[in-house]
Amino acid sequence: MIRALFSAASGMNAQQLNVDNIANNLANANTTGYKSRRAQFQDLLYQNMVQPGASAGQQSTVPAGLQLGMGTKASSNEIIFTQGSFTQTSNPLDLVIQGNGFFQILQANGNLAYTRDGSFQLDKNGTLVTSSGDQLQPQITIPSNAQSVTIATDGTVSYSLPGQTAGQKAGQIQLAMFQNPAGLNSLGTNLYQPTDASGDPTVASPGGQEGLGTLLQGYTEQSNVSVVQEFINLITAQRAYEANSKVVKAADDMYQQVNNLKQ
Amino acid sequence: MLLLPSVAHMDALTIAAASGIRSRMQSLDLLANNLANSATTGFKSDQEFYGLFTSDDATGGASGSASAMPVIERQWTDFSPGLLQPTGNGLDVALSGSGFLAVNGPNGPLYTRNGNLQVLHSGELATADGYPLRTTDGKTIQISSGKPIQIATDGTVQQDGQTLGQMAVVNFKSTDSLTKMGKTCFQNSDPKNPPVAATNVEVQQGKIEGSNVPVAEAAMRLVGVMRQFEMLQKAIGISSDMDTKSIQEVARVGS
Repeated sequence: MIRALFSAASGMNAQQLNVDNIANNLANANTTGYKSRRAQFQDLLYQNMVQPGASAGQQSTVPAGLQLGMGTKASSNEIIFTQGSFTQTSNPLDLVIQGNGFFQILQANGNLAYTRDGSFQLDKNGTLVTSSGDQLQPQITIPSNAQSVTIATDGTVSYSLPGQTAGQKAGQIQLAMFQNPAGLNSLGTNLYQPTDASGDPTVASPGGQEGLGTLLQGYTEQSNVSVVQEFINLITAQRAYEANSKVVKAADDMYQQVNNLKQ
Repeated sequence: MLLLPSVAHMDALTIAAASGIRSRMQSLDLLANNLANSATTGFKSDQEFYGLFTSDDATGGASGSASAMPVIERQWTDFSPGLLQPTGNGLDVALSGSGFLAVNGPNGPLYTRNGNLQVLHSGELATADGYPLRTTDGKTIQISSGKPIQIATDGTVQQDGQTLGQMAVVNFKSTDSLTKMGKTCFQNSDPKNPPVAATNVEVQQGKIEGSNVPVAEAAMRLVGVMRQFEMLQKAIGISSDMDTKSIQEVARVGS
């Protein structure tokens, strides 16, 4: 009886976490470069009431045992790296990656982080930075008198100066890629950090054979949250929560009846 | 003095009903675990299998039927497939058709249908719990970092045009010998029922198999278990009333 109560409680806990996860996905439905997360669950240990192969009589054995499970737990919420849709902007420093790559960002603490959010700006020195002010790596600087900035699909950044016909090259953007991007660690502000699960980054120029993808100037990548899908997940999570709460009620009712056996 | 069987087992009704109550409690435990795992990837629901407990002594005697008690003899696991959900993640695989992925557990091989995979630090392709996947020739699949992998429907893993190995997809003649080990893994407890290569099964990359717990049916069974429990509780009450009556009224006749 207590098993049923705890199993149901573990189910309610897991579904609560599921709803938390869905809420965060929905809250970030308009966040540039956001990738949705999906909660994963696993069953807990089993209690063996009857061991399979135990003797049932003098000659016979039990063909299969009786195992009672102890409920569920949330094991992970992995990041789903499908491509988000593109929105056209008029900002020449807005970039999207058509492919699996990540921009490399130097954080204020000196560590490298990775992002899919390509809405860049210039700081006071003319360096390409994210909206939080962290520098894009390798560093790209555009002088203040530059007329127009062009970023090619292979990441080459060039600009033109007044009175000059030939373009000036400012550098080439490099992208990073991970074997298991679902194992990256979210740092917030659209940044990811590599972990043992994600593996080390492979850095290369966009548009190569590595499958990093190409860059597209003047667009931003929308989040890949499917609002319809999230609402469906929300309904299932809510109903599963309800079903588990019914089990708590049933276990409680049955326990009450046991207590009332002796009148 | 010769005791009549009916006298020796005056409380047969209570015993049978109490045994029924206990098995309904175990039923509820199973049901609770199923419902708690209605969102667990690759989870297979359990159902109870009722039997009659008859001890050797009881069947030998004249009063065999009186000590037959309903018990849950074993549970059987419903291995019907869950819904395949597309995830778009290249490291998610689902099996369409019956079969299991063979993995190296901490104490020998385990079998699972949860294809939420990851690459270990050592480069081995493994489940989310870190159990490396076995190949058809008993090795593991080593992946070099960086490039995406392609998984064919027969389980062959390729990276950059190179074949890295074929994941072992196995099946069993009888799934009765599979014991649940938690983490959606099964262990084979019968060496006479070895795993064989599965036929008619496809490995589908970018999908994942949901739990096969039928939530609506489970809710119905929940009501059923509760009502049966109530009936058995009534039966104990009736038995107790009958005892009270026989003690009070039979004694009055005697006086």
